[in-house]
Amino acid sequence: MLKETMTRKERIISAVNLKVPDRVPVAMWMIQFPLRYKGIPQSLGYKDPVVTIKALTDTFHDLGGYDGQIQGDSIWPSSSWRISAAPTPMHRPGQEGEENEALQAVEREIMTVEDYDKIIAKGWNGFCEEFLPRVTGRSLDKIDASQKKLLKVYVEDAKKWNGIDVPVMFGASTCDCQMILSLCRSFSKFTFDLYRIPDKVQAVMDAMVDDLIQNVINDSRATGIPWVFFPLERGSGAYYSLKIWERLGYPYLKRMVDAFVAEGLTTILHFDTDWTLNLPYLRDLPRTKCICELDSKTDIFKAKKILKDHMCIMGDVPASLLSLGTPEDVTAYCEKLIDVVGVGGGFILSTGCECPIDAKFENVKAMIDTAKNYACQIFPQ
Amino acid sequence: MSELAEALAGLNEDYVTKIVQRKVTAGEDPECILAELRQGMDIVGARHKKGEYFLGELVFSGEIFKNAMKTIEPRLAKNQSGKEQVKLVLGTVKGDIHNIGKDIVGNLLKIAGFDVYDLGIDVPKNAFVKKLKETDAAILGMSGLLTPSFEAMKETVEALKTAGLRYKVKVIVGGGIVTELVRKHCGADAWTDDGIKGVEICRAWAQEMKK
Repeated sequence: MLKETMTRKERIISAVNLKVPDRVPVAMWMIQFPLRYKGIPQSLGYKDPVVTIKALTDTFHDLGGYDGQIQGDSIWPSSSWRISAAPTPMHRPGQEGEENEALQAVEREIMTVEDYDKIIAKGWNGFCEEFLPRVTGRSLDKIDASQKKLLKVYVEDAKKWNGIDVPVMFGASTCDCQMILSLCRSFSKFTFDLYRIPDKVQAVMDAMVDDLIQNVINDSRATGIPWVFFPLERGSGAYYSLKIWERLGYPYLKRMVDAFVAEGLTTILHFDTDWTLNLPYLRDLPRTKCICELDSKTDIFKAKKILKDHMCIMGDVPASLLSLGTPEDVTAYCEKLIDVVGVGGGFILSTGCECPIDAKFENVKAMIDTAKNYACQIFPQ
Repeated sequence: MSELAEALAGLNEDYVTKIVQRKVTAGEDPECILAELRQGMDIVGARHKKGEYFLGELVFSGEIFKNAMKTIEPRLAKNQSGKEQVKLVLGTVKGDIHNIGKDIVGNLLKIAGFDVYDLGIDVPKNAFVKKLKETDAAILGMSGLLTPSFEAMKETVEALKTAGLRYKVKVIVGGGIVTELVRKHCGADAWTDDGIKGVEICRAWAQEMKK
């Protein structure tokens, strides 16, 4: 094991600040994997956050510990019904799905073109006053009470992690306008909107972005955790041209990140799919205030070249490798990441997206152990 | 390039509708109209390959094509639609309900002329086997976005072997996290994480099958 001279929190913060820590930090986002590994049905974990946090904590210890806990437990903390996300219908284990199936979002059109005018008139939160009860079948009061109850549990769980020097890197979450509208309209319908009625889509985004920002600020103040988890997927250069990105993607992303920075928050830009084309734009975001998290579809080596003196990079052990590969395969992959992306600091080793439900325990352990043990040019012993 | 192909390749939806309507009214051969539309889609595919077009353009051009087909399809003589005449069974495997990638590939395959039997999402292995037997399809395309789908894909390939179908059915697996490692694990013939590449693979197989 490499000699450790920093606390876990110092190690993570050092990477975010583009410094060279005592070794590469490793952060984990895992909810479904610990349940499967501990032999607990996904349906039980879905219903009871206490079951999930126990499985998560036990798995943390079985793995020998790691540096950052991306999500404190299975809860997406929110201080009220005002969410900066799409109220997407879910395919839940033990309900729509089988007991041990993964939780999945259902791709369905829950918002019509006519709803666009309502958002333009009322803003996102104003629209949600009518929209949330319509799509969830629950009143705002009920949603509010449920969110507040879950928030309390989340804050307590985060305190437990902090108590053992594991920073929780998720105090609030948000999607961008593109992702929310795509999830609500459905991918294909939203794509048609982008080509048929781009002016209207832009007006909708203009009307919703400030509410999204304020919701995040409220949530982060409620949790007291200065980290924003920001999943991005459906606006990447794999999906749409840079012309669309420059008009309907990046300006809103920048506005949101700038507001979070002003609030003193660090943002994890969780990039699913291939964002290689979009990487140069990230240099225009505030330096050392975001993490660029990649899922192995974006070229992480190119990301390092573009962002090395500007933004910490996190990732990107592929899901297929963790599920089907061997510990030797995983170790080799992680060593290469540390050799190339770890150079000069500013790198956190992680799974690209949530740790796969059926990852092999020995593969996850090999990933974490590589960060702890790999002696190389950057971390000579 | 014909006016119609150019309009489709340029994603000019209203103009495509107008030209198709004009050609139909003038009594033009619907097979010729279809050929021009396919030429337009080929250009979209070529532009995607060159990095000029993205998934959005593929999806929107597919929508324009589909709407144009509504006008000309009733006028096409049965079995004279320039199809590859190759049948393909498609679906997202058991335990996975993701449909975006599957739907995109399914549409592109239909446009390319394949007879696509789309079984939808969360498809059990036996349903794939049943449909392959029923249609005598030569290709099976399985999609998945979650890692547990790899096991379902493997089990389906095993079921094909048990049913005595594997030797005559080409199998392709696809999805955002599918890799060569996944293909080997499942025992598939090919893999893709890109719709256009998936269609190219199936087209190459179709050409081989015609020989």
